[in-house]
Amino acid sequence: MSRLRLAFESFRRPRFGHIRTRLVVLYTGLFAIAMLSIGLIGQVMIENHAQSSVRTELVTSSSVFDRLWALRAKSLADSADVMARDFGFRAAVASGDQATILSALANLRQRVGVPYAFVVTQDGDVTGDGAATLRRDVAAIPYKLAAGRNSAVVTSGQDVYRMVVSPILAPTEIGWVVFAVRLDEGEMQSLERLSAIPLTATILRHDDGGHWMPATGGLAVPAGAIDRFMAADGSHEMHPGLLGLSSGRAIALARPLASTGTAPDAMLLLTFPLIKALAPFRSLQIGIVLSGLAGLLLVLWGSHRLAGSISRPIAALDDAARALEDGSRAEVTVIGHDEIGRLAVSFNRMSAGIVERENRIAHLAFHDTLTGLPNRVLFRQQLDAALGRAVRVGEQVAVMCLDLDGFKLVNDSFGHPSGDALLRVVGEVLSNLASDGMVARLSGDEFAIVVGISVDPDRPRALAQSILDALREPVVANGHSILTGLSIGISVAPGDGHEPSTLLKNADLALYRAKQDGRGVFRFFEPGLDAAARQRRQMELDLREALHNGQFRLDYQPIFDLKADRICGFEALMRWEHPRRGLVSPAEFIPVAEESGLIVAMGEWAMHEACREAIRWPDPLRVAVNVSAIQFRNSGFADIVVQALARSGLDPHRLEIEITESIFLEGSGPTLDLLHKLHALGCRIALDDFGTGYSSLSYLRSFPFDKIKIDRSFVINVADDVGAAAIVRAIVDLAGALDMETTAEGVEDSEQLAALRSQGCSSIQGFLFSRPLTTEGVARLLKDQRRDVMPTVSAPVQRLIPPPAPIELPPIRAIGR
Amino acid sequence: MTKWIALLGLSLMATAATAGNVQVQVRGADGAPVADAVVTVSAHAAGRITFPWPSVVKQQNITFDPHVLIVPVGASVSFPNMDNVRHHVYSFSKPKKFELKLYGHEEARTVVFDKPGVVAIGCNIHDQMSGFIVVVDTPYAAKTDASGRVTIANVPAGNATLTVWSAAMRAPGNQLAQPVTITPAGLSKVVSTP
Repeated sequence: MSRLRLAFESFRRPRFGHIRTRLVVLYTGLFAIAMLSIGLIGQVMIENHAQSSVRTELVTSSSVFDRLWALRAKSLADSADVMARDFGFRAAVASGDQATILSALANLRQRVGVPYAFVVTQDGDVTGDGAATLRRDVAAIPYKLAAGRNSAVVTSGQDVYRMVVSPILAPTEIGWVVFAVRLDEGEMQSLERLSAIPLTATILRHDDGGHWMPATGGLAVPAGAIDRFMAADGSHEMHPGLLGLSSGRAIALARPLASTGTAPDAMLLLTFPLIKALAPFRSLQIGIVLSGLAGLLLVLWGSHRLAGSISRPIAALDDAARALEDGSRAEVTVIGHDEIGRLAVSFNRMSAGIVERENRIAHLAFHDTLTGLPNRVLFRQQLDAALGRAVRVGEQVAVMCLDLDGFKLVNDSFGHPSGDALLRVVGEVLSNLASDGMVARLSGDEFAIVVGISVDPDRPRALAQSILDALREPVVANGHSILTGLSIGISVAPGDGHEPSTLLKNADLALYRAKQDGRGVFRFFEPGLDAAARQRRQMELDLREALHNGQFRLDYQPIFDLKADRICGFEALMRWEHPRRGLVSPAEFIPVAEESGLIVAMGEWAMHEACREAIRWPDPLRVAVNVSAIQFRNSGFADIVVQALARSGLDPHRLEIEITESIFLEGSGPTLDLLHKLHALGCRIALDDFGTGYSSLSYLRSFPFDKIKIDRSFVINVADDVGAAAIVRAIVDLAGALDMETTAEGVEDSEQLAALRSQGCSSIQGFLFSRPLTTEGVARLLKDQRRDVMPTVSAPVQRLIPPPAPIELPPIRAIGR
Repeated sequence: MTKWIALLGLSLMATAATAGNVQVQVRGADGAPVADAVVTVSAHAAGRITFPWPSVVKQQNITFDPHVLIVPVGASVSFPNMDNVRHHVYSFSKPKKFELKLYGHEEARTVVFDKPGVVAIGCNIHDQMSGFIVVVDTPYAAKTDASGRVTIANVPAGNATLTVWSAAMRAPGNQLAQPVTITPAGLSKVVSTP
């Protein structure tokens, strides 16, 4: 079964490489089949027609011969009768008068033109001239003939005779006159001459073996052929058949010649060669063949032309489609208005569309839709190519990563359309400045430039500087004048790496450094940056562990109310006791915590811890907790505060949340909502590090802060720097005008304290009064306070409690971008 | 078809005391009864042979009447012409060749038949006229009637040769001969002729 299927499947239709060939083969094949069929049918019809006409002729001829012989026999019989009725002749026969009989027979032979005539008497005596064999056979004839018959064809020796018998009546039969006509070649020829067609008449007789054989003429018949012909359907008396002669096939008719008995002794065979029968039609056959060939050539030519006209445009379409497949595009020349023409038109449209779409898709795949600059994918490719080229020619390549400073703020302040417009403008600026390099937009507000260093080794630095200079001025985007900054990190191949990914990573590290170094600057990658990055990653892991294992604790630095001259609260400061590294500076781990987002969990813990600690303090001592901008961005922050208050049972008024101006960088709307929400709870809000950042007075107007904390940088020089003192005074006056308290940080000596007192500062914080204390320290301090051993500025705490090694521990501050 | 050759010289002395009737029916090859067939039993009889019919063959209506006439050897047969036309009666038969040249109405000629055998007579003027005179040397001979039957009375018992002649018979001499044994009760036989 499967083998059969295999065999079937192995039989395939021929496969054509060209439509033209297929069409030509198809049409020519069909025509050839049609012509062949017509030819075959014509041939069969011609043969049939030729044969049937010959058959008809043969049958007709044989009938004619029969009639002829019948007439002949009758005339012979009549002649014999005339003689047999003659009384003298009868008397001669009756009396056995041989001489008289012989002369009468001679007379008769001459009269009727018959070679042999005999008289046979009742006794079987034969009178007449002839061979002994013939005489013997003649003597038997009258007795063998059936009643009512007067002639028979019999063989005598090697010859065949037609014998006509006439009785001699006196009045009964006393004998017979017998004529014998030898059916020889001459007889046959005279018969043939009577026929309308040039047939061949042959007498057949039995040979010694009982097989039919020709007795006359030169008809060459293979042995047994006539027997087979006779046996084919019994008799071919009236239905001519085909007989195989030595000279080829012939149409033949065999008429049995009636003998004395039922079985004939001889046959008359009429033959006509098939070749001769077909000869008149030869020209017709040749004509059919020639016209068929001519038609075939015509069809071959025509179908070739037609197929060409069909397949040329299709081949052109095929080529064009292949070209399209290979990525190039070829137009197809349109010929005609038929389907193919229309197909060509639509193909051209389609291919144009495909190419256009491909280009667009390719562009989309490799370009940024907003700025039209190459995207990260294309940038990587270009960087790859540039690196390859640089390696070949031994040049350097610089990769610059650029990041807009405070882009989120732009989006929040002016809306996304303006942000998008700004990105477009920045893209244009970069493209214009870095015309010798490749500018790409990697993500939101992150750009990158690849620039070769072939002529000027200072090119990266110069380019970075020119970019910074160009963006120092406000940029007009979407009708807004936007002041935006840019930080740039630069890595140079091959020094900073050979791989695109390495170079990009290093440029990113340099960018990070630039951001850290205050933004609006560019930094080149240094190997140390990588180490620092690794350290940051390690620190991040350590921080997670610390959060998990409870390695954090809070220390509390007292805040001294100058007016009431006593402690009014504590600022909670996060401390990290690393099992190996010992005490880690907040300046080190807070930025890492902010970057990694761990600050949220850490801040939550600090909020809960501070509230839990503060509830043990006597009312109204407050606890101040620093909150990073990252925490503020978290919408759940208000809930955290509420939970911390609820769990500890602390009065919200005793919680002071310290924020920096950086929380407003991300947009002031939601931030202000959150601040108002916290305020509504009853929490106090303090603005920390005032004077270091933007110090925008609008922030002070936008929210009714409870306190402004003056940064230590002003406090340090407040006693001996007029400028610093003026700033402190201005801040204090401003806070007073806005009904806000002020706390000066980092007060270290009595001169500073004096200056601050004179300027009307509400409260102070610093080593002069007390460094940050552990919970036990706070408990002791509060116990002393109850025992009225109140620490005062003149008798600060550190005198009572021996101080540890002084470490500069800045408070937690949000360092955001 | 069985041919019987008559055995000549086979004769039997028969006595009147032992004689029977020989009844024969002659049939043709097609089974039809054959009339005018002459049945002869070869048996000697003492005395002159006579038959109860005249030895006359008339020519009447351009036929010989009777068509077949049995006469004993030595009989003189007259041939009266009853027609208005003349006849030329002849015979080329071996037992008796004769010729009665043209003779007219009411003329009679006589011919003596002195040898036994069948004499075929014809008319040279009228081809269709034919007749037979069967010359026998035994009284035991008779013609079959229309039903092909014949009865020969008082044939002596013993072995004999039964001969049947018929003009239509296709046999040499137009006759069949077969040995038969005639019992005192006679013989009843059907002879099929070829």
